[in-house]
Amino acid sequence: MRMQSLLKYLIEYFNAEVYTGKDKNYMFAKVDRSSYVAVADFLFKKGFKRLLTVSAIDWVLRNVFEIYFIVYNHAMNVYIKVSTEIPRDNPEILSLSSIWENALMHEREVWELFGIKFIGNTMLEPLFLEDWKGPPPFRKDFNWREYVAKEFGLKYAPVPKIVYSKSEKK
Amino acid sequence: MRVSNILKPFKTVGKFLVEKPLTFHFPPESPVFTERFRGRHIYHPELCIECKLCGIVCPNNAIEFLLEKDKKGLVHFRTQVDYAKCCFCGLCEDICPSKALEMTNFPFLVAMDKKELYYDWKKLSENPSLTLPSIKEKKGLIPWARARSFWIVNFFTGCCFIEAIPWVASSFDMERFGLLAIASPRHSDVLLIGGYVTSKTLKRIIRIYSQMPNPKFVLVLGNCPMTGGTYWDSYNTIKELDKYIPVDLWIAGCPPRVENIGYAIFLAIEAVQHGYTGKKEYINTEHGKYSLLHLIPKISRDYNIIEFGPQHPASGNFNMLLKLEGEYVVEATPNIGYLHRGFEKLMEYRTWYQNIMLVQRVCVLDGASYELAYVGAVEKIAGLEVPKRAKYLRIIQAELSRIQSHLLNLGLLAAATGFDTVTRITWGGRDKVLYLLEYMTRGRIYQIYNIPGGVRYDIPLDFKDKAFEILKYLERRLKDYDDLLFNNQVFIDRTKGVGKLPKEIAIELDVTGPNMRASGVAFDVRKNVSYEAYGDVDFKVQVLHEGDAYARTLCRRREIKESIHIIEQVLDKLPGGPIAEKKMSKGGYFSFMSSIPAGESIHCVESARGELCFHIVSTGESKPYRVKIRGPTFDTILVALPKLLKSVQVADVPVVYWSLDNCPADHDR
Repeated sequence: MRMQSLLKYLIEYFNAEVYTGKDKNYMFAKVDRSSYVAVADFLFKKGFKRLLTVSAIDWVLRNVFEIYFIVYNHAMNVYIKVSTEIPRDNPEILSLSSIWENALMHEREVWELFGIKFIGNTMLEPLFLEDWKGPPPFRKDFNWREYVAKEFGLKYAPVPKIVYSKSEKK
Repeated sequence: MRVSNILKPFKTVGKFLVEKPLTFHFPPESPVFTERFRGRHIYHPELCIECKLCGIVCPNNAIEFLLEKDKKGLVHFRTQVDYAKCCFCGLCEDICPSKALEMTNFPFLVAMDKKELYYDWKKLSENPSLTLPSIKEKKGLIPWARARSFWIVNFFTGCCFIEAIPWVASSFDMERFGLLAIASPRHSDVLLIGGYVTSKTLKRIIRIYSQMPNPKFVLVLGNCPMTGGTYWDSYNTIKELDKYIPVDLWIAGCPPRVENIGYAIFLAIEAVQHGYTGKKEYINTEHGKYSLLHLIPKISRDYNIIEFGPQHPASGNFNMLLKLEGEYVVEATPNIGYLHRGFEKLMEYRTWYQNIMLVQRVCVLDGASYELAYVGAVEKIAGLEVPKRAKYLRIIQAELSRIQSHLLNLGLLAAATGFDTVTRITWGGRDKVLYLLEYMTRGRIYQIYNIPGGVRYDIPLDFKDKAFEILKYLERRLKDYDDLLFNNQVFIDRTKGVGKLPKEIAIELDVTGPNMRASGVAFDVRKNVSYEAYGDVDFKVQVLHEGDAYARTLCRRREIKESIHIIEQVLDKLPGGPIAEKKMSKGGYFSFMSSIPAGESIHCVESARGELCFHIVSTGESKPYRVKIRGPTFDTILVALPKLLKSVQVADVPVVYWSLDNCPADHDR
């Protein structure tokens, strides 16, 4: 399948918004939540055998999470990023682990860092953190600098610190 | 089995015995020390225009200003640097409009009290000098014996350990001072903390510290355990290690240079010789927050469960639970996160420009690729056209970094199969490459050479000659490595047929880089998605078909040769012209505080361990909105390694593990 016909198929059948930059090797597609797994399945069958990553973006002002995956097709020599949006409250989406096996581990990471549940993923348990009790750390509303200041007593100075010499203090 | 495969290794070792020794003299000075290295600052108050830009650009808040009046009653802001925070990135030097703050090549910054590392402006404006302590004086037999037999626990906690490696290698050779790396904490005197400590690692450090016999000494490398260092705003690293256990010696640097560590060893030997027995012991677990539960393993008749790492000579800071049936592995479960700093979000707090000093810290073993992937992605959004000369210079840096990473891996694999001699020899060769990298980029480990739009410095005039000389030396050495490893019957027996990775599984599980090419897949990002100027260079993608540990190692060995070939071509073709372009296509110039247009981009490069991608989202501000780092080892180690280890003997676990060339810092991020 040629690249052009693949994109046409994505647009016609999955109603995808497709964006290709200057670089012909990288494509971006945005699909509806309902066709997220169907697009993944379609791409796998068209030779996108290698899943690079599954990840998320926290669009806190719009109150949505953007979930995306990046896959690579060796024959076409193209990377494609497919994304979809889900609401930020009680986020859930179907897992891709039945298509690509390594999605299990990537989704486990997203589950831990963003608190997004992947339905069908059997591996949702802490990956990096041990006994972490705070909120999902990669969400935008969790400010690390405030947390560090509170937890370790380290003060953050947005402007360089100015110290005064002894004579000036008087 | 061939007789020559038994004789050749002996012959080559014999050759090394009669050759000039590889070890540098220490002290007085070592030849791997260039004038271009970024070390301590020197401050010229008479040139300073007090603009405070250096303090604004500093990503670590290391620069402070002293407000004082001079004799005439004029108010001045004097620059002061805290070396317990400074990461020697040189952004302050670049930004300084009047050259009032410059970096010297002086790396020796060691203190027993970390407050001594705060340099006020008067101390900062003095020329740096060093007097090494004399270690010849002896006071009593016991202190002398104690000082000459420091045994170090080999627990590789963080990135700074990379500069302790040359002390193991033939180039610096720590054994001449009686230092020895030892696996058991109960037989060790020195706990060497190599860089940042995450909360998960701290629990293990406290456990190991409590197991060590008295007198025990704690040496700390790098700034992160002093004040938080580069990761001062990370949620998962602890900021001051001396809150939890006593620390005897702070060795500053990011990472501290090899010579600086040597200087610290001298100070330690001198102090212990004079009867110093360490600070008073204390342990603070913050009411059990950092204490480790004593787990009682479930013992069953059929299985044994053992842990591989994180404190293991062959693991790195990585942990794996191995379920064994007799001598064979039934199931392997990786347990990671010992080096998790949260890079992706740390980058959201820093400007596009400041992030150039952060990205290479993701994986200390091959930082250059991370720089390339990051600046490549930013250039796509900002619309920066990189000049041709800069593209060529970037290739030299990336390939040199690849060579040193592969040499390091050869050494690790040699250690995993029991050839400590080869480890020392290959790591000694690696020091030559690091010398070249430093001469080119001013940084030895973290080069911080690329900026969006080009590179920071041009190469020195005599770089070409030096490069050709060292590359020739390396090429000659490669034949010795062949005889020592690849034509060595014991090595062949230990690695051939071990940890076989079939072609289909490699693609399915997203194993990339030399590991994939050794399984017969001809995929190399340099060739497939040509970035920088790789399209102008002639090189072959090394493909092998066996897919076992031997093939993977041999693939790396062949890639070293190919990289040497690439560098030689690039040096011959190197065009003239500017080294950086600051004009963005949509208007405006890229500078240290500037914002770039909104958009997103993906940029993939071929790192030493495989395909490395950065996905960057910009909302048009001066900081990234989201950065996703897709490291090459995440799938290789977490998904593929457990499959490869099935029904492998316990003794072969390190062989399979290192043949995949892990970088725990990369998959933890």
